[in-house]
Amino acid sequence: MHQATAQSSRIEEFTAAAIQAVATVQVIDRSPAALCSAILQAVGDASRVLYAPPQELPAILFSQFAADPRVRANATPDEMVNSAAGVTEAFAAVASTGSVCIDTSFEGTGIVSLMAPLQVAVVAAESIVPQPRDLFRADVLDGRGLKRDFVFVTGPSATADMGPLVRGVHGPHKLHIIVLR
Amino acid sequence: MATPVNPADINPRQVANKSDKKALLDAIRMTLSVQSPAVRRNTQTFNRNRYAATALLPDYNELKDRARQIKEKAIANLPELLRQLEASVRANGGHFYLAKTAADADQYIRDVLLRHEVKLVVKGKSITSEETKLNHALEAAGITVAETDLAEFILQVADEQPSHIIAPALHYSRERITALFKRKFNTDLPLDTGEELTVFAREKLRQQFIAADAGISGANLIAADSGSLMLVESEGNIRMTMTLPPLHIALAGIEKVVPSRTDFGTFIELLPRSGTGQPLTSYVSILHPPLKAPSFAAPGKATKPREFHLVLIDNGRSRMREDPVLHEALYCIRCSACMNCCANFETVGGHAFGGETYSGGIGGSWEAGTGTLMNARFSDLCTGCSRCVTQCPVRIDIPWLNENLRQRMNFEQPSSAAKSAFAAMTGSAQEDRVAPLQKQFFANYHVMANEATRFSSLSNVITSLPLVRGLMENVVGLDRRRKLPPFPPKTWEQLYRGRPSGEQARAAKSGSPDVLMFADVFTNYGSPERGMAAIRVLREVGVNVELSDSLPDGRAAISQGMIATARQQANALAKVLLPYLEKGTVVCVLEPSVLAMFRSDYEHLLDPATWEKFARASFLEPLQLVLSIAKDQGLDLSQVFRASKSPHGMRIFYHSHCQQRSCDAAWQTIEILGACGFDVVTSSVECCGMAGSFGYKREYYELSMAVGEDLFGQVRAAEQDGPRTLVASGTSCHEQLWAGMGREVLHPAELLVSTLG
Repeated sequence: MHQATAQSSRIEEFTAAAIQAVATVQVIDRSPAALCSAILQAVGDASRVLYAPPQELPAILFSQFAADPRVRANATPDEMVNSAAGVTEAFAAVASTGSVCIDTSFEGTGIVSLMAPLQVAVVAAESIVPQPRDLFRADVLDGRGLKRDFVFVTGPSATADMGPLVRGVHGPHKLHIIVLR
Repeated sequence: MATPVNPADINPRQVANKSDKKALLDAIRMTLSVQSPAVRRNTQTFNRNRYAATALLPDYNELKDRARQIKEKAIANLPELLRQLEASVRANGGHFYLAKTAADADQYIRDVLLRHEVKLVVKGKSITSEETKLNHALEAAGITVAETDLAEFILQVADEQPSHIIAPALHYSRERITALFKRKFNTDLPLDTGEELTVFAREKLRQQFIAADAGISGANLIAADSGSLMLVESEGNIRMTMTLPPLHIALAGIEKVVPSRTDFGTFIELLPRSGTGQPLTSYVSILHPPLKAPSFAAPGKATKPREFHLVLIDNGRSRMREDPVLHEALYCIRCSACMNCCANFETVGGHAFGGETYSGGIGGSWEAGTGTLMNARFSDLCTGCSRCVTQCPVRIDIPWLNENLRQRMNFEQPSSAAKSAFAAMTGSAQEDRVAPLQKQFFANYHVMANEATRFSSLSNVITSLPLVRGLMENVVGLDRRRKLPPFPPKTWEQLYRGRPSGEQARAAKSGSPDVLMFADVFTNYGSPERGMAAIRVLREVGVNVELSDSLPDGRAAISQGMIATARQQANALAKVLLPYLEKGTVVCVLEPSVLAMFRSDYEHLLDPATWEKFARASFLEPLQLVLSIAKDQGLDLSQVFRASKSPHGMRIFYHSHCQQRSCDAAWQTIEILGACGFDVVTSSVECCGMAGSFGYKREYYELSMAVGEDLFGQVRAAEQDGPRTLVASGTSCHEQLWAGMGREVLHPAELLVSTLG
């Protein structure tokens, strides 16, 4: 019971920080149907969706979504640079900053999470750590942050170089995060 | 006769190297006329955001201590760390190259690219590559270089040097970017919003990313234990640079190496917050290349195996490491906090307050360290206000670095009979007798002021004569547009000793007051009535206080880079103060720039044993003491100083002094004024722009007044619903507010005394 309360308050802190960073967040039940429906709702009428299969979460969770005909798990170079959305898992997330951590050492994850205008990241609630520094501790998430190649993603890409703040530069213009309860 | 150039026609590149003084002055004129509004808006936004973001870190100070320790150790063990890093990079399957010079690094990178027959290389932001002038070297070899960071893209189009370390084109307003792109790209596309400009650049660069054969990035940190890099960005271009092409080259200075990837945990909390003021920027990449995932093959191209080269450059850094002073600059993590909290930088940016690559307070050390000493001439724009010291995530004493650069530049000057004669008259240290006359003049304020106050009415007449002002401008560079505050007929010491109270006579006899008020030279010769008011306020709350003799403390000398003279003065003063400090007497210091000397600068000027005694002693701004007494004794200050009784009214505008804030000695005054019933509006500027002698100097007068305009504007805004009495704690701030607003300025102590009737 106590653990469940701690987790839900961490989800709340994460959600608030992610929204502050101009991401959108959805917290859903952990089932293939719920995940499929959440992702498809997020990608809207995108004609093609890039997808890098998970390494941490069970693949079965994504099975229903992956069956959608618009989904490309092995995109061609042309599709890589011309798709509306990219979906990956995040092996960790950070409550204080609303960041998701994407492992970039697996085939496709780096590009799928980077090239499309809409980025969708799926993260398990128990992988949310309190602060960025926790990713550099051996006793947090089995020290995965000390071994992996990864990127902290906090909101969509942005720049202030052209005068006013503009969201959507080289990287995604929108970030949607799905948290699995 | 050379015709004066219109400042708007000066190209930043022409005045990037400021070893020639004219280049510095032209650059100030150019930036004030063209770049100032954009620089102000952008740096001040970063500045506000940083204060907000660091306030959210509960252990901000502990993190800074840890970051400092990590960097100190890393720089001390650098040769060993570099050996370890080389082994790590090779074990990961990468290549490692340690370049001795900038040219050496450029040649290595060019050779790697030529070996791979690279035609097009995309670059992420790398200020280090500006230091090595890499683009020039690659283009000369026929390689096309595409800068992909939008700021660097603007600079490449405009052919300008960076003006800021994390936002290199922040001197460009949206309107100026539109004009630049329309001119250079000859396009009819609408480019009138930030979005349109971004789309335009993104489309161009997306094609380059896809077609590129290689990517060049920098690195914010490098871990020796694993060959890991940390890269901080917001646009996504660095990720693309490292992810898409098969060949990745990372270029960085050797000082970026820390022992372990676990150390990233400290810096990831501090770096983005100290820079843009975001908890994290959009993307912070952690990787130990070469990446395991296959590279991207453009449509129609074959996939190539990944290859990674880490190129570290020395280019003077090992020499900096051996330097007793400049080694501290190697701790810099290049966050830009020192620039964004610097009033002068906020007003002109790095094209005036900067060199060919590096800018701002820390920039002088970097330009001198990686180039030649005179390249650091622009560091003269550091007024030593110390705001940056409190904001630096690795606690670098930047003013001290700049004072040393100033001293070294003084030593480069030829000696002259006039300088020697002047120095002999003022008692400057032997080593400092080569310093320019202007520096010697301002360093010896107490000598001039002492002479002037002896015949104050005559001095005031003489110093207001146009002929004399003309001479002063020509000989010592004191700007004739700056109105000089009149010298008072009596010094603080004379006022105090001329009218001893019975109480004071007893204290003098016992020789053991509870509190010693230090008679700093600025108050003593410039505004003795403020000093007397401060003594009165302390006595009202029951403090047994005595005034010290007035002695120079070294502030004026150190600000001119005359460190030997400052050391001489500090040691003479320490002899006078030590008996009090050893008895545990509290020392009150009215002038905040002098308070800061005792609290921190003396660490550099006194021997360690004496400094230890200073570090343990209690030096307080007088109102700091008043508040702590009121709190300890449960004293209701509103019953002692009733704002309603002040003939100056209850509506106040208060500006605290930069060094007062750095000493954490400003909020107490605000709390007291509020407690006494005053309606207080406070300024939020970092510095008034006067900064001791800075605003008096002919070459900096206009910059000083431009900086002051922020403060004057805040006064005007606060007075929209009616006038307010101006109150300030520093001597310089008084003079600047007086110049800008044209009316009387009170010290908080004078305001409190005015309530006593």
